[in-house]
Amino acid sequence: MKQLNELATPFATVAESSDLPGQDLPWLQALRQRALTQFSTAGLPAKKQEDWKYTSLWNLSQHPFTHQAVESTVDAAQVEDLALLDDAYRLVIVDGVYVATLSQLDDLPVGLTVRPFSASLDSVKQQLGQQVALDKVGLTALNTLLMKEGVMVHVAADTVVDKPIELLVINSGATADLATHLRNMIVLDVNAQATVVEHYVGVTDGVNFTNVVSEVVLAEQTELFHYKLQQESHQAFHIATLAAKQAAGSQWHTQNITLGGKLSRNDVHSRLEGEQSHTTMDGLYLLNDEQHADTHTRIDHLVPNTTSNELYKGVLNDECHGVFNGKVIVHQDAQKTDSNQYNHNLLLSRGCAIDTKPEMEIYADDVKCGHGSTVGQLDMDQLFFLRARGLDDVTARSLLTHAFAVDVLARLPSETIRQALSAVIEQRLPRGEKS
Amino acid sequence: MLEIKNLHASVDGKDILKGINLTVKPGEVHAIMGPNGAGKSTLSNVLAGRDGYEITQGSVTFQDEDLLALEAEERARRGVFLAFQYPVEIPGVSNIYLLKAALNAVRTHQGLEELDAMDFLTLVREKLKLVKMDEDFMYRGVNEGFSGGEKKRNEILQMALLEPTLAILDETDSGLDIDALKTVSEGVNALRSADRSIVMITHYQRLLDYIVPDFVHVLSDGQIVKSGDKELAKELESKGYSWVHAEGPAA
Ligand SMILES: Nc1ncnc2c1ncn2[C@@H]1O[C@H](COP(=O)(O)OP(=O)(O)OP(=O)(O)O)[C@@H](O)[C@H]1O
Ligand SMILES: [Mg+2]
Repeated sequence: MKQLNELATPFATVAESSDLPGQDLPWLQALRQRALTQFSTAGLPAKKQEDWKYTSLWNLSQHPFTHQAVESTVDAAQVEDLALLDDAYRLVIVDGVYVATLSQLDDLPVGLTVRPFSASLDSVKQQLGQQVALDKVGLTALNTLLMKEGVMVHVAADTVVDKPIELLVINSGATADLATHLRNMIVLDVNAQATVVEHYVGVTDGVNFTNVVSEVVLAEQTELFHYKLQQESHQAFHIATLAAKQAAGSQWHTQNITLGGKLSRNDVHSRLEGEQSHTTMDGLYLLNDEQHADTHTRIDHLVPNTTSNELYKGVLNDECHGVFNGKVIVHQDAQKTDSNQYNHNLLLSRGCAIDTKPEMEIYADDVKCGHGSTVGQLDMDQLFFLRARGLDDVTARSLLTHAFAVDVLARLPSETIRQALSAVIEQRLPRGEKS
Repeated sequence: MLEIKNLHASVDGKDILKGINLTVKPGEVHAIMGPNGAGKSTLSNVLAGRDGYEITQGSVTFQDEDLLALEAEERARRGVFLAFQYPVEIPGVSNIYLLKAALNAVRTHQGLEELDAMDFLTLVREKLKLVKMDEDFMYRGVNEGFSGGEKKRNEILQMALLEPTLAILDETDSGLDIDALKTVSEGVNALRSADRSIVMITHYQRLLDYIVPDFVHVLSDGQIVKSGDKELAKELESKGYSWVHAEGPAA
């Protein structure tokens, strides 16, 4: 059997041949070289690694991907259709390529910079790669080796951005088996506030591979509302790493919604490095047919007086498989940490499965921490109640499923985004007769 | 309207209803009393179409249809309404949403247009007044965090809105304070009409002072062992159920 790290070779060839940005920047070339060395030794993570116990990348490793996109035909009307938000600053990437004509970045307010990654290399230099460990899993190394496009968001000190920023990543299906390695960088300077939506959409049901790394740097007293909505094709591979470093008084509120992908993996990580900093790490995975979605989260409480709330919910149907592994680490110095972490799952079929493991490692003694997970089915009393009021079985089940799922959405304040996400989720539920 | 003949039902092989006979004509109000565990809620659930009961014998006819052949939602749309003994909480589904979905299900079945938002709200406000409930309750999850009495009022609100043909009230009076009991009774009485029937299950004679029944039945160990008029309830109140047992099953 081929070892997963043999993959290094074809990907390395891609690195040599393709038109990666920053070929003229020595610091970036050095970084890519380190990534190549790392990826060549480590390869893709294998199931024998504890963090990858339930998720096999074998099929991914065996799939013949291409890195060269042909021109796509996505037009403005389609973009309007696919976008989550009507009123937002928008950066659009189609098949891995930034499309200025489809983006809406003309009237950015003072203090806000939103640019394609490829045009921001100098400004990301200081922070690029600081939030993620190159050596931990091969996928970050692979991303670093081949990263080509993405979004760079910078919010200057004291700026409160008036509208959400939507990064819309479209896989049009024009290029079969396309692999894209996206790199996003979100930086908020002191006292800044912003809302960012990362939105990944597949237009067809073709195979593609999205490998994205998003890095977040939050200075003192900043607040970032950070949504991610993943609606890729049910044949897609979607691998995402999302990592933040938080200074004192900063707040990072994440909401991570997984609807698409045949195989998806999310690694979400926050480091609470300054006092009074806070992380909300929420998410929802709604899976059916043979989807496999793996979420690994980690929150490091490193200093005293930090807080975190985490709630992930899962709705599983058909033959799908969900994995949730949450780790909260309260380090020795992190007295007065207040942290809770929950994972609740609703199983709608016999064929689906969930492996859930919320974990806390606590090395400080004066802390308030709670965690837990549940796996359950629809409540028969509730179902009968709704049917006894005239709602048909399918509608009643959908309504209860929706109710189970969407309370996650209510944990962040934006009503507009909540409603938009709620509508997207509703579309995914089975429909009953019109009642 | 409703004709129950020799109805036997069991759960997990355990016989609970053991030959119920009951005929309810349009406009009538029937009270069913009986000791705990007699099978009163089971009867309500079987009539409303809850899954999990095996009907081993007998039949139920509702407006010339075989009621037992219909799904729960089909019964509801034909006008069978069960006010639950223990109304369930449904966080995440707002009361107003439930009311709207329920009303539209009935209206669609009747071949009527769905009400538009304005008309619906006007109607709901009118019914809220009837059961003396605050509009705030509409925007909370169904029964979520409601007190016991509020849940019962909410059941009556749903009934008032849906205007069922046959209302089965399972201990709607239990857990109500005196004022609430009056309000709920007014709600039920407002619904009384020549073409509507009510079956109410209760442990207390007190309710029957407010909603005066045409018939009173005693259900014990899965059978109706005695039937009479409202005087029967008074007799039960003073003598207890052992008195009925001593007399033996009704002929
Ligand atoms: N799902 C079930 N499984 C086993 N036994 C059941 C089930 N449902 C009802 N029973 C039993 O059937 C009997 C009748 O229950 P039911 O709830 O109908 O009584 P009830 O007359 O409504 O009593 P109460 O006055 O206390 O409300 C009880 O002994 C109860 O334990
Ligand atoms: Mg009962």
